[in-house]
Amino acid sequence: MSTGILPPISARRRRTDRLMSGLFYAATGIALVPLLLIIGYLIKEGASQFSAAFFTTDPTGNFAGDIGGIRSAVLGTIEMVAIATLISVPIGIAVAIWLVEYGKRSKPAAIIRYLIDVMTGVPSVVFGLFIYVSLVETGIGGSGFAAWKGSVAISLLMLPIVARSSEVVLDLVPNGLRESALALGAPRWRVIATVVLPTALPGLITGSLLAVARGAGETAPLLFTVQAAMGINFNLSERMNSLPLEIFNDVQSSNPAVVTRAWGAALTLVLLVLAITLLARIVAGRSRLKP
Amino acid sequence: MLERSPMARLPDQALRWILTALSFGILLLLVYFFGKLSLESVDVFQHQGILSFAFSNDWNPSQSQFGGLALLFGSVATALIALVIGVPIAVATAVFIVELCPSRLRSPLTILVELLAAVPSVVYGLWGVFFLIPRLRPFEQWAADTFSFLPWVGGPVAGPSYFIAGLILAIMIIPVVSAISREVISTVPTDHKEAALALGATRWEMIRTAILPYSRSGISGAAMLGLGRALGETIAVTLVIGNAAVIGHQIFDQGYSLAAVIANEFGEASAVPLYSSALFACGLLLFIVTLVVNGLARYIVSLGDIERRVERARRSERKSAAAPGGAA
Amino acid sequence: MKFTKQAGALSLTAAAALVIVACGGSSSGSASTINGSGSTFAAPIYQQWGATTKTDDSLTVNYQGVGSGQGISELTSGTVDFAGSDPPMTDEELAAASKKSAPLHFPTALGAITISYNVSGVATGLKLDGATLAQIFLGKVSTWNDPAIAAQNPGVTLPSNPITVVHRSDSSGTTKGFTGYLTAVDPNWSSEVGKGKTVKWPTGTGAKGNDGVAAAVKQTPNSVGYVEQAYALQNKFTVASVKNAAGSYVEPTLASTTAAGQGTTVPADLRFTISNPSDPAAYPITSQTFVVAYTDACKAGFTEQVAKGIKTFLTYGLGAGQDALAQLNYAKLPADINSKATAQLSKLVCNGKAL
Repeated sequence: MSTGILPPISARRRRTDRLMSGLFYAATGIALVPLLLIIGYLIKEGASQFSAAFFTTDPTGNFAGDIGGIRSAVLGTIEMVAIATLISVPIGIAVAIWLVEYGKRSKPAAIIRYLIDVMTGVPSVVFGLFIYVSLVETGIGGSGFAAWKGSVAISLLMLPIVARSSEVVLDLVPNGLRESALALGAPRWRVIATVVLPTALPGLITGSLLAVARGAGETAPLLFTVQAAMGINFNLSERMNSLPLEIFNDVQSSNPAVVTRAWGAALTLVLLVLAITLLARIVAGRSRLKP
Repeated sequence: MLERSPMARLPDQALRWILTALSFGILLLLVYFFGKLSLESVDVFQHQGILSFAFSNDWNPSQSQFGGLALLFGSVATALIALVIGVPIAVATAVFIVELCPSRLRSPLTILVELLAAVPSVVYGLWGVFFLIPRLRPFEQWAADTFSFLPWVGGPVAGPSYFIAGLILAIMIIPVVSAISREVISTVPTDHKEAALALGATRWEMIRTAILPYSRSGISGAAMLGLGRALGETIAVTLVIGNAAVIGHQIFDQGYSLAAVIANEFGEASAVPLYSSALFACGLLLFIVTLVVNGLARYIVSLGDIERRVERARRSERKSAAAPGGAA
Repeated sequence: MKFTKQAGALSLTAAAALVIVACGGSSSGSASTINGSGSTFAAPIYQQWGATTKTDDSLTVNYQGVGSGQGISELTSGTVDFAGSDPPMTDEELAAASKKSAPLHFPTALGAITISYNVSGVATGLKLDGATLAQIFLGKVSTWNDPAIAAQNPGVTLPSNPITVVHRSDSSGTTKGFTGYLTAVDPNWSSEVGKGKTVKWPTGTGAKGNDGVAAAVKQTPNSVGYVEQAYALQNKFTVASVKNAAGSYVEPTLASTTAAGQGTTVPADLRFTISNPSDPAAYPITSQTFVVAYTDACKAGFTEQVAKGIKTFLTYGLGAGQDALAQLNYAKLPADINSKATAQLSKLVCNGKAL
């Protein structure tokens, strides 16, 4: 009477299995180590900066006395990214709707999907260059560097992310839902507006939030399109401060206190982006659509 | 039948028109983008010649020499290092999350890996300069001395180098490659996996024979997207590559990349038309490379799709051959 | 739908908090603003002056350090009101900008370029002369205990380690100043390397920005690099004393930097470049920096408020602002250059009218 159908696993194979499992564990650990190191480093260098004054005063430009905080940088980032979101999210979702509802598997749709992927891959600095030569040099809008031009550059970065993730989510909406609504006599636009979009809403929000996280952290496009102003400025056609610019400029300073402020700003930016990313994940968890 | 008046169809048509316009707007935008970049690059192409710009190694703007081979080399070299280091780790992480880890850890681990993507690139670069470079230098010097028999290894270690840039890029592409690999690996049909296990395979053998071959094209596609990201990354690379417009012979040498040159030199170049034209040409080159890499990625992934379609077709053929034959 | 209500409430609260924080900031009604960009070297100066004019004169000054070259091109294209530039504009740049209105150069400060080093066992006081510096940066003097260095430093034990040279990888007025000095002291330098904001360095590693070179020198044993005075003083680097044209080894102090400006020939349009100064107390590797503004800002397309703002800014800078320079580790202008610059202020007009 045999104890099993198959021959026992040799010790060598078992060893290989354990070795490989160990390697997989190790690889995952290795992948996470940089994250911990970076956040640890930022906390070590920058957490000391966190105080009420840090977030409620602007950088003063004073190198000898009080160097000020980063309020205008935080507000500037929020404002520019908000405008970029207002531009890229509606357009991105609109393109995604077209791809899923009308374009589907057609040749034009395939080309547009390819181009959206290309847009994700284009280096942010090339977008900055493009906006510089089309909007800044030409002096459109009456001024050279302006916050809204920075927003446009950021929206170019965000658009493909919104479009791609929205397309994936909209695709997951069961066709049955659409067809039942159509069968009841609803016109196409009504089906999209009242059935498809609400069902996909959590996924759409997730995609937009991930795009916002990307947009908030980019420096290169801002270098070409906006120059920093130290004080608060809500006027979009003028210069505006922002966290990436503040970090980039401050870290090059000869004043060690200003360099430390850069680290505080970097920690702020990372926490901001992490918060948005986590929020996106939580929203995704509430989605009724699962792949 | 439900009928609708022509007026009622108007919103539908309007919506379709608007959406189509926006989508084709993307096409127009990119065409305009390409056109504008090309227009700005014409000056340097006339001065230097397109082939010479891309393939001669003499980047000397103050003498109006714009041979960008060193830049192209740097972009490609750092991206390759990033792939060699990052893709295995990313795929291993993906396999781990899908197959090996306890199910309650799956979600937190996924979030943690994705948080790597949330760190802004300027922070990566600064962390590289202030933390990684000084910490790794002794190890790099030891490696350069001990392994100098290997090609591309050896020489003095200055600090910023292709290696550090590649390392940081590897970290940056892990989330993208891992996420896509995860998706691909989780679509491996359970029958494949169970068949391997039923035949007595160990966990690893099952992964090796059932999962990895099936996911090969999807993972290649993921790697290509990682490549695209690595080629295009600007600020992080600028801060850690050393910005020397030469073709280095060791991985610990300093180099330059197309994206870094634009970020670094655009300020001064904007005063000199030929110089700024050269930088636009660098941008154009990067754009073309992105087009090619993405096209390749799509193609490789589509190969996988064909495989799967063929398989499904075969399986359904077998089923339909079995059923009517077996039915009474 | 509870989710959307929660999300809505959260976003409203966030928006409210934002408004409260933002409104806490003062925004003066009739204050004027001037925008400048250019020299990174001078950025701390103009930002510091701006902090003072903001409280004293309600004048906000926004200045971004993007490099002297970009500053000039932005001034020429009209995207900034004034430019900061270390080297004076070349004749071509001047011609291009003069289409709008003739640009005026206002020197604002002097700064030294220090030779910072990190050599084990050599604490302070390393002496080097121009010829040796050139050989080091050419790679021809490659170890610290080379006879050329040892001869100038009797009694100092120099290690036999190779010299790691650190230079700038990005375009910079500091590089131009340093290579300008090397051209003056070494006949072969101009043919082998040349002078400019970017040059092809025969040896060494590149670092981005003054902070990059400073960090590299700090982290690399047995290295030497050229770093702006402000960075060296602020971070207490070990710097070398350099032999000046009069033959003495001088340390880069604020006083020796100002001395370098004395005796420099200054042309009528104030476009001067300090090169290997002759004053006995002078530190030889010294650089100047300018604010460049249009004579007639209104004719060039700016408002009268901007023109007035520029004049207020410069009046302060050439006056009380000079005393603030020491705190920032920059050197004052020597008296004769300052008076010439101050006299030039009266040339600033708006559409022909005096300001």
